[in-house]
Amino acid sequence: MALDYRKCAEEIYSHLGGRDNIISAAHCATRLRLVIADNSKIDKEALENVEGVKGMFDSNGQLQLIIGTGTVNKVYDEFLAVTGMTAATKDEVKQAAASKMPLWKKILKTPGDVFVPILPAIVASGLMMGIVEAIPKFAPAFGQTDWFSFLDLVANTAFALLPVLVAISAARVFGGNIFLGAVIGLMMVHPALINAWTVGNYAAGEIPTWSIFFYPIQQVGYQGHVIPVLLAVLLMSTIEKWLHKHVPEMIDLFVTPLVTVVCTAYLTFTVIGPVFSVFENWVLAGAQALITIGFGFGAAVMGAIYPFTVVMGLHHMYNVIEAGMISSTGVNTWMPIATAANIAQFGACLAVALKCKSQKTKSVALPSSLSASLGITEPAIFGINFRFMKPFIAGMIGGAVGSLFASWMTGTDMNGNVVKFGATTYGVTGIPGIPAINNIPMYLLLMLISAGVAFVITWFIWNEDEPKKQTAPSAPAKAESKAPTASVIRCAAGELIQPTNGKVIAREAIPDATFADGILGDGVGIEPSEGIVYAPFDGEVTSVFDTKHAITLEKNGMEVLIHVGVNTVNMNGEGFEAFVKEGDTVKAGQKLLAFDSAKIKAAGYSDCVVVLLTNAEELEKVECGIK
Amino acid sequence: MKSFEYTITDPVGIHARPAGVLVKEVKGFAGSTVTIQKGEKSVNALKLMALMQMGIKQGDTVTVSVEGGDEEAVCTALESFFKANL
Repeated sequence: MALDYRKCAEEIYSHLGGRDNIISAAHCATRLRLVIADNSKIDKEALENVEGVKGMFDSNGQLQLIIGTGTVNKVYDEFLAVTGMTAATKDEVKQAAASKMPLWKKILKTPGDVFVPILPAIVASGLMMGIVEAIPKFAPAFGQTDWFSFLDLVANTAFALLPVLVAISAARVFGGNIFLGAVIGLMMVHPALINAWTVGNYAAGEIPTWSIFFYPIQQVGYQGHVIPVLLAVLLMSTIEKWLHKHVPEMIDLFVTPLVTVVCTAYLTFTVIGPVFSVFENWVLAGAQALITIGFGFGAAVMGAIYPFTVVMGLHHMYNVIEAGMISSTGVNTWMPIATAANIAQFGACLAVALKCKSQKTKSVALPSSLSASLGITEPAIFGINFRFMKPFIAGMIGGAVGSLFASWMTGTDMNGNVVKFGATTYGVTGIPGIPAINNIPMYLLLMLISAGVAFVITWFIWNEDEPKKQTAPSAPAKAESKAPTASVIRCAAGELIQPTNGKVIAREAIPDATFADGILGDGVGIEPSEGIVYAPFDGEVTSVFDTKHAITLEKNGMEVLIHVGVNTVNMNGEGFEAFVKEGDTVKAGQKLLAFDSAKIKAAGYSDCVVVLLTNAEELEKVECGIK
Repeated sequence: MKSFEYTITDPVGIHARPAGVLVKEVKGFAGSTVTIQKGEKSVNALKLMALMQMGIKQGDTVTVSVEGGDEEAVCTALESFFKANL
């Protein structure tokens, strides 16, 4: 009988203690996973009895309702419709459950959480902007065409209005309403404000100010800024959530958004903006002072910290420094440093792109590195390098080395005089900067050094799967310490790869009646030749027993029990080691458990590894045995 | 709904084998829904994985509830089953 999804979702919702009690909802292959604010408000008994709910339990701060493959997603969709919630990914649910993370970690994580969802926009724009702006440097006539002006408009949209994207994404991260977040972002780049990018064209006295505040506020937008937008939206989300709690429901709908927007706007322009612009001025002054420190040391430091300023969105202000240099000395010595830093991020990102095996990582890393070579590093930094951290550090080192080199070089100006190494324009770095530099061979060498250093360091210190790397050295360096690849169990929903090296035996031959009789499900036994259990598929760890001798996994509705030895529960974990924990996502062949066969045998038990599909009867076309 | 409380005496608790035996027993009562509850968590006794994931140990007290079918008879049968096996 087909389940009435809507009814099922409504019934579930009615037993959860109201909308406010549900923090987030997600689903996996079989379960609806909810994060509940107050577990005492929910009616567990009633929930269990809802038609369609096959079982429920509560773990890791999540309430998990077992609904079943193919059904859970439909119930989930209805559940979202019923509750008016927006879809949370499984990660978000985990995040909500793990909100006890230390503050400094949360702060470090925030820019990444905000930027990763908007990466497609940044990648598209970044790549296009790099290409479109590079063409006129080689073919100046193109710069005059309508095509150029059109493509330029398309390309820079996401960057010109970046605060809007950041604000929307930040509102999601901070738990505010995303549409109010969008309003805050739009407000900060409102056309009535002076564009932050052209504000340099105004003399100090020409910039209009508001005197409605305690002190004059310059009417300048926040184009190209990131931190003030993050702070404004954080403030907005905090105000909004507070108001939702305290404003009576009857007037909540119109009072809360109004008050939220007005308060946030006021504080953004009076406090966040001015404080930030002071901070920015310090950064600018600091950066300018830094690069004059002798023997290239200052330049090296700047080359190293440059990508950090990109993470914070501060690099958009460097145009001011560059423009100042050109007007005073005619040579923009900042540009080679920026190029060193940017091209180093390109090198690091390229190393990741070439080294990684994950198609997903590769597909982000490759275009991102291309974009970085054209001087647009955000995709590479946020999408790859900063996320994995090691490539980012490698990029910093590459940037430092390149900058040091740049500070020792000289160039020649139009009249043939020897001048400092630098560019004659500003706003370009990387490959598009070639026509603008006063010493092209050295510039090419500079890029080669920066990218090369970053590439080589990344190649050697970065590995795709860090935890795997940590456990690898402890494994005996025997020929067999590789995960097996033969398939041992197959069904309509997928297959299981042999999880342990050794001889595969029929279920009936397992030296224990419970397993052999199939009471616990269908599967095979393995007489192990090596004490390691590998993941049989890409899936999720649903539990690891306290005694570390058994683990359960799930994928696509297949519930799997891997039990090491017979009666080994009595060993209380002695001789066993677990590398994963409940809720972890694992890849086929990843190490799950290690066990000491000698100890198991010494304790008088069989070390036979039992692999069972515990819900075999619910699955179709189950077939056991090696193939 | 009928229910009873039981304190586990099996030294390994409701681990693989005991859980398997229990599920097999419960399957015999097709008309009833049997739920095992420990503290905040509760599971359908037909769900082997969920049952094992409860991590019920010796000395833990669980509540066994029966709903539907001949509640009285199933409850009595299960109670003696628990005493004999768990």
